[in-house]
Amino acid sequence: MARAWDVNGLAPNAGFRDAAGRIVLTRWREMLSYRDGTLVGDDIEELHAMRVSSRRLRAAMDAFADVFPAASFRRYLREVKRITDTLGDARDLDVAIEHLTILLPEVDGVDRPGIEGLIDRYEQQRRAEDARIRALVDRLEQERFADRFEAWVHKHTGIDVATLAPAPPAGA
Amino acid sequence: MAKPRPVGGIDPTRRVRPNARKILAMRIDEIYQYDGLVGDPANVTELHDMRIAFKRLRYLIEIFGDAFEADLVPYLDQVKAMQDLLGDIHDCDVQVPMLGEHLAWLERQETESVERMLTSPRRARTPDDPEIALARFKSRLDTARRADERPGIHTLMAMRRAQRIALYNQFTHEWRRLKHARFRQRLEHALGLG
Repeated sequence: MARAWDVNGLAPNAGFRDAAGRIVLTRWREMLSYRDGTLVGDDIEELHAMRVSSRRLRAAMDAFADVFPAASFRRYLREVKRITDTLGDARDLDVAIEHLTILLPEVDGVDRPGIEGLIDRYEQQRRAEDARIRALVDRLEQERFADRFEAWVHKHTGIDVATLAPAPPAGA
Repeated sequence: MAKPRPVGGIDPTRRVRPNARKILAMRIDEIYQYDGLVGDPANVTELHDMRIAFKRLRYLIEIFGDAFEADLVPYLDQVKAMQDLLGDIHDCDVQVPMLGEHLAWLERQETESVERMLTSPRRARTPDDPEIALARFKSRLDTARRADERPGIHTLMAMRRAQRIALYNQFTHEWRRLKHARFRQRLEHALGLG
């Protein structure tokens, strides 16, 4: 599993609002860093890392919910949840295909057609998930979601993403 | 999925630690509310909800861990282990019905294929020799049928059911061990609660 990015400037005695901005924006940029790899689709670990990051982001938003106005918080959280869920459906199929493919050489001959057929079906379903992921990413870009999200966090926490400069851990 | 209970008294103008204590105390309590319910392996929903409760606590310890002086990593490892174990149980609980759905899907595919075969215009070109006609019919029927795919799916279902029993036994053992080791009390002490 991809290591979580360190949160720049987070002091042990930090204020709740300050910590909220730093952690939420770091997890947000961490998730975005896997977007291109997920869309290319050559490595299933890219999608997995993006999903894990999106879950970390959701958890951070939940933890700091009281920092944000309730109505706008619900809207942004719903969108982040949609990202997690969309990636989750694809990830579940990736895991199932990988598991069955590993299992295949170990099973009796009589069981193979069924498992091969199931892999075929899951692979078809997985291709359909690629289109759903692409559609979601395109819509979010069209709606300039990233800019709005970062501005929203800045407005309510005082943390600016450019100044924070979240970055992957050294060697990642 | 059970929603997290709202935490009152959070003050965004204060420091992280006093707010984190309130949130963590609530999430720890949420895990233990399933204590009496997960003793029955048939309580699939409660086992799933307990997994979600462990997951919430795990992420919160990761988020707020730096605000506490105590080393929370050993607690985090325990919480993660329980979340993973309950996750594996949940995978089995989800996959067995999915495999059952796949069997039903195979049957529908087979029915459609056989119907297509029986109504195909090719039937009009049936050879006069009844033996040749029967052999061709059997050949086309074999192609349309997917009976050979069923044994593998039944085997997978049996594997998942056996795995589920073993995982649940492991879970009850681990849960008893955590309670015996006073995990909750030690974690709450490390967080300065109570």
